Amino acid sequence: MSALEEQFVTEARELILQATDNLIALERDGGPERVDSVFRAFHTLKGSAGVVELPAISIMLHAAEDLLDSVRHGTHGAGAEIVDAALACLDQVSRWVDNFEAAGALPSRAGEDGRAMAERLRSLLPGRTGEQSVLPAPDRLKEGGRGALPEWVSHLIAAERDAMTSRMPDGPMLATAISYEPLAGCFYNGDDPLQLMQQLPDLLAFHIEPREPFVPLADIDPYTCNLRLRAISAANRDEIASIFRLVPDQIQIFGVPPEALPAAAKHITPSELSLVQKVIEAQCELLRVPGRTDGLAGCVGAAARVAENALRHGRHLHLADTVGRAGALALAQHDAGPLLSALEATLAAFASFPSTMVPDGDGRPNTTATSERPTDRVLRVSEAKIEALVNLTGELVVARNALSYSIRQFDKDLGREVARSIQRDRDAIDRLVTELHSTVLQLRMVPVAQLFGSFPRLVRDVARQLHKKVELVTHGETAEVDKTIMDRLFEPMVHLVRNAVDHGVEDPEQRRAAGKSEAATISIAASRSGDRLLVEVTDDGRGIDPAVVRRTASEKLILSPEELTALTDEEVVDLVFAAGFSTASSVSDISGRGIGMDVVRTAIEQIGGRVSLESKVGIGTTVRLDLPTTIAMSRIMVVEAGGQSFGIAMDSVSETVRVKPDRVSTIKNNDGFVFRDRVVPIISLAELMNLPGHKRDAAQSRLLVVMETAGRSAAFEIDAIRDRLDVVLKPMQGLLAGARGYAGTTLLGNGQVLLVLDVKEILP
Amino acid sequence: MTVRRSDTGTVILDGVCAVEDAEPLLQMLQATPAAVVDWTQCRQLHTAVLQVILASGIAPIGPCGDVWVKQWLAPELPQKEAGG
Repeated sequence: MSALEEQFVTEARELILQATDNLIALERDGGPERVDSVFRAFHTLKGSAGVVELPAISIMLHAAEDLLDSVRHGTHGAGAEIVDAALACLDQVSRWVDNFEAAGALPSRAGEDGRAMAERLRSLLPGRTGEQSVLPAPDRLKEGGRGALPEWVSHLIAAERDAMTSRMPDGPMLATAISYEPLAGCFYNGDDPLQLMQQLPDLLAFHIEPREPFVPLADIDPYTCNLRLRAISAANRDEIASIFRLVPDQIQIFGVPPEALPAAAKHITPSELSLVQKVIEAQCELLRVPGRTDGLAGCVGAAARVAENALRHGRHLHLADTVGRAGALALAQHDAGPLLSALEATLAAFASFPSTMVPDGDGRPNTTATSERPTDRVLRVSEAKIEALVNLTGELVVARNALSYSIRQFDKDLGREVARSIQRDRDAIDRLVTELHSTVLQLRMVPVAQLFGSFPRLVRDVARQLHKKVELVTHGETAEVDKTIMDRLFEPMVHLVRNAVDHGVEDPEQRRAAGKSEAATISIAASRSGDRLLVEVTDDGRGIDPAVVRRTASEKLILSPEELTALTDEEVVDLVFAAGFSTASSVSDISGRGIGMDVVRTAIEQIGGRVSLESKVGIGTTVRLDLPTTIAMSRIMVVEAGGQSFGIAMDSVSETVRVKPDRVSTIKNNDGFVFRDRVVPIISLAELMNLPGHKRDAAQSRLLVVMETAGRSAAFEIDAIRDRLDVVLKPMQGLLAGARGYAGTTLLGNGQVLLVLDVKEILP
Repeated sequence: MTVRRSDTGTVILDGVCAVEDAEPLLQMLQATPAAVVDWTQCRQLHTAVLQVILASGIAPIGPCGDVWVKQWLAPELPQKEAGG
């Protein structure tokens, strides 16, 4: 993909988002500025689609623009119908942008789909006269859709009847007629209409003519295209549309019913197939005679002609064309090679036909489906941030040079002064490297506005579907978070927002009965607190009733009745995060399949965040996400156990304590101690990791790291605490990729690889 | 040159005749409208070049070296057979 195309993809996504937001705002509060900004977004989008030559998108957006223009000039109100149509148009563009990014092209039907969408948009225009339209697309579509075939098709069939008869494949078939009128300036766009026609598979008939009678040679402009190219092909419509996908506005495609076509000459029998095969094999033999120089041209020419005719007779039209081309190439190069390999390829293609199969006239393999390529995400970075990075790197280089100087000095006189100077330089480098690192991490920081941007649309659509009235308020869009975190936050957030509209918000009648305003408010707020990002999703709906949760939890056997009675109301509400829990009485297609909230909790914990929930019956629910702002750095504690070092993420460490033996009590085989009014089990890390534990002096106090994760606490017994570090955690790779119990590895200053434990996983 | 004039005055299209060949071809045909055009060596013919040939109404001596053009277009043109 070229830089231009990459830029288009990024820009298009932004513009789609912007247009969507503005459309929703327009529907909500109207206002001329809104219409203007929607119009502008569509206009810019159309422009960029034009630059990368995606006319299917341009056609559609052009129609949308016309529609919005009529809204802008007050001929038309911005009703839900228009907003729906415009949003559908944006959805289509969005899907195509994804296709374009993945495959470098739009789907083959894009041209026709684009025209259909344009038609739909135009149908909403008041008293549509088509005057505003510069594109005759809708009328063409009508002509091409059904009804009478244009006259030229029957003329062409009549003129080419004999030739077509010999080219027709067997069996009932539907042919496709194409009329292509290239733009007058098409040569300047780099178009070669003939080249496009040559790509038509299974061509049955072709005709080229001037659109306007040619002017005398003296007055002709060689670079103005005045041609009309027409063809009939046995290929299907989609295949043809895909060939002409870049010029959908210049072609008309018609389905030709079988009765309009001349009948196929005759049936091809397996014996004929083998005859064709034999003829080609004979040509191969002929060409393989070594050392032939005299008469090579004659031999190649004859072999190519014979093979081509045989293939044409057998109605392998595409293969015949290929062989013909290879023959011409072989003649030009005075080398039988190209022809020979084409013939061998033909024989190989024959061998792959099932014995009863009738050739379809197309020896080509099907175009392979566009392989799924992981989406290449583009990070847009502000110039200031890059500039800061460059400056810092520059300083780093200077500092390093100073260090080299110091080392030379050190060489000369082994003085203390020098050692101190080296120390100073090292410190300077250290500071710069730290700063550099944090700046680089800053490059990955993006405002959450990008995430929040998709929710107005979601809320609108879900609310409309459920006949609820919901207003969405967002706060703190400028708070920044690491791109990886934001990407992984998207799905859980969608769950939360959907849940809020579906389960949280009541129907308008219920709200009225409860003395609330009909329109509910959902707010999404983000804020930075130190190196954490807090995101809150709040609704003013019915709230979660602990009694209902208790009932559901016992019905679904999530907890035993005894356990349930032991829980406070807040703890009960927290059960909505349990797997298999869903409070909605019926499963809707929006949410409530019982997979919602536990998925949210898992996803948030995977990125090092925490989820909590607060709800008051009749007042509303708030879900609070507490997230790290960067995923790249983690603070770890390096501990030693059984003679090895391990890292433990500080997130899960709540305290380190030394415990005198008399505080430890043994229950069965397990040690435990009372810590802040709770019994915390003690686990020897060395034992857990199957390392030799060292003999403990019974009177010696024990060093414990108390950890809290997923609501459980436990203490690891360790031999020593070595260090606290900020590290870049690398996931386990290669052979170790499958190893459980480790969050990743990191490289220590001395070159040692430190294994960082995944506490949640290894706790028994 | 993909479009050139031989010693005998025949206009020869050779190899891949691209869009920019339309203009020199037109100039040659304007200079000598009765010129003989030989396209047997032309491996690929651009639409713009073809348009000049069609507009001039001349019949190139064939067959055309562009196999596709030979098969699908030649029947549409008034045609002279190649000498050998």
